[in-house]
Amino acid sequence: MPLVVREIIRQTPDIVSIRLQNVDGSPLPAWNPGAHIDLQLITRHERQYSLCGDPADTASYRIAVRREELSRGGSHYIHAFLREGSTVWVRPPRNLFELGEAPAYLLLAAGIGVTPILSMARHLAAVDADWRMIVVARERDGVAFADEIAALGDRATVHVSRERGRLDLDAVVGGIAPGTDVYACGPASFVDALWALSPMLPEGSGIHLERFEPRKREFGPNEAFSATAARSGVTVEVPATRSLLESLQGAGVPMNGSCLRGVCGSCAVPVLDGAVDHRDSLTVDDDSRIIYPCVSRARSGETLVLNA
Amino acid sequence: MRFEGPRGSVDDMLSTDFRALGLEDIRGTLGEPEGPSLQKITDHLDENCLRFLAHSPFATLATADRDGTCDCSPRGDYPGFVRAIDDRTVALPDRLGNKIADSMRNIVDNGHAALLCFVPGMSETLRINGTAFVTDDPTLLRSLEQDHTVPDLAIVLRIEQVYLHCGRALLRGGIWDADMQDLATQVPTSGQIWASTSGWDAAVGDVIDEAMSGAYRALY
Repeated sequence: MPLVVREIIRQTPDIVSIRLQNVDGSPLPAWNPGAHIDLQLITRHERQYSLCGDPADTASYRIAVRREELSRGGSHYIHAFLREGSTVWVRPPRNLFELGEAPAYLLLAAGIGVTPILSMARHLAAVDADWRMIVVARERDGVAFADEIAALGDRATVHVSRERGRLDLDAVVGGIAPGTDVYACGPASFVDALWALSPMLPEGSGIHLERFEPRKREFGPNEAFSATAARSGVTVEVPATRSLLESLQGAGVPMNGSCLRGVCGSCAVPVLDGAVDHRDSLTVDDDSRIIYPCVSRARSGETLVLNA
Repeated sequence: MRFEGPRGSVDDMLSTDFRALGLEDIRGTLGEPEGPSLQKITDHLDENCLRFLAHSPFATLATADRDGTCDCSPRGDYPGFVRAIDDRTVALPDRLGNKIADSMRNIVDNGHAALLCFVPGMSETLRINGTAFVTDDPTLLRSLEQDHTVPDLAIVLRIEQVYLHCGRALLRGGIWDADMQDLATQVPTSGQIWASTSGWDAAVGDVIDEAMSGAYRALY
């Protein structure tokens, strides 16, 4: 759906927030904290951005965009050329980072990772949950939405590494009370460090991570395999050099796809038969029957049947 | 869609024995350029040029070999693919093609190169002239990643002249008019042309067209 850029606010030297609305200001599809939108620019560059506004404001979506040092086009375009009044194209919000029920919550955000975490904190404050939030930034002026974080009160703290040194994640994770669920978002180094500490979590605690970059893992060499899209009645031979998603799209099977790196989840398809080599950064259970065909493949010698 | 009907023939009403004019004769006919049109030429990209490039998905790249024999090739990609690195340098990715590399061979031979950049719907074009080289700089290549494909090579152009070319040519040609796309229905397909120039049966042309439409799905 086409939306209009209503407001661009510089939050930090590297981050702008952008408020989007329908042309006539009519209500937008509802969302929950943790949700993101796929945003396409007039240049056809497409990226995912977490919603960081107030879900109760049904007329607006708010996102925040960091200027990447090595922009592949999207973030540079937004910072240099997007204007109030510009049109962008947005797919309705999806949530792959949903807040579950828990007796207590610890929210951790680094850098631009504050976007989904901020709306979670606001929600948990509104429902009077037991929560804490730590927002990490390298520099004081690198804290986006500093006013809004401050307005959340004592449960929300900002850790500026330049002033206080690197946040001691071991101590943070070690101090978690049993039953507390952790929600974290940030750059790969931050999220990977938390993932590495997850065995230290106490009984009954879970960890939920949102990544911008794929989890770094080593895989064996790609093997060719065959896959059938049951609903479309199409069988494709997937060579070692192509992804399952590309092969299906090439054969005319209608498939979504956006990040193509196993991070955004937009290409998810149910698996009807066959064992999956899950190579995405979303799947927690190796035996999951949902495949992200942009990166995941059949296990060696297996043939896949998909509900596509 | 297969084009059915007679192919082309030349207009043989004219002889090709034309008189070639020198610059003096040409100036005698045209007169001198007026001041303002000369002043439009600059040596760097200003904010307007940067905005133009950020929205341009298509350009032609002109190069020449050591002897000055010219070559012009189409380059298309996501808008902004002619990437301004600074106000005197642009870079463009070398995407999947036929690997003949005419332009790059010319650039190695003779660095002079020119770009003519288009924005769909806009009559004016941006001319960028300068000196080019080919690079495999990994940081630059990563920044030119598109659809998760990092190009193997990029062309860097050091700018000497920048010029917004007036829109009369595109207006006269009507090239952004939707109706003008009907023209393509009157031209043989690439498969038909290929089969014909190779002396193959027309049915081979259909097979080539079918194969091309498959190959065109992989653009990166």
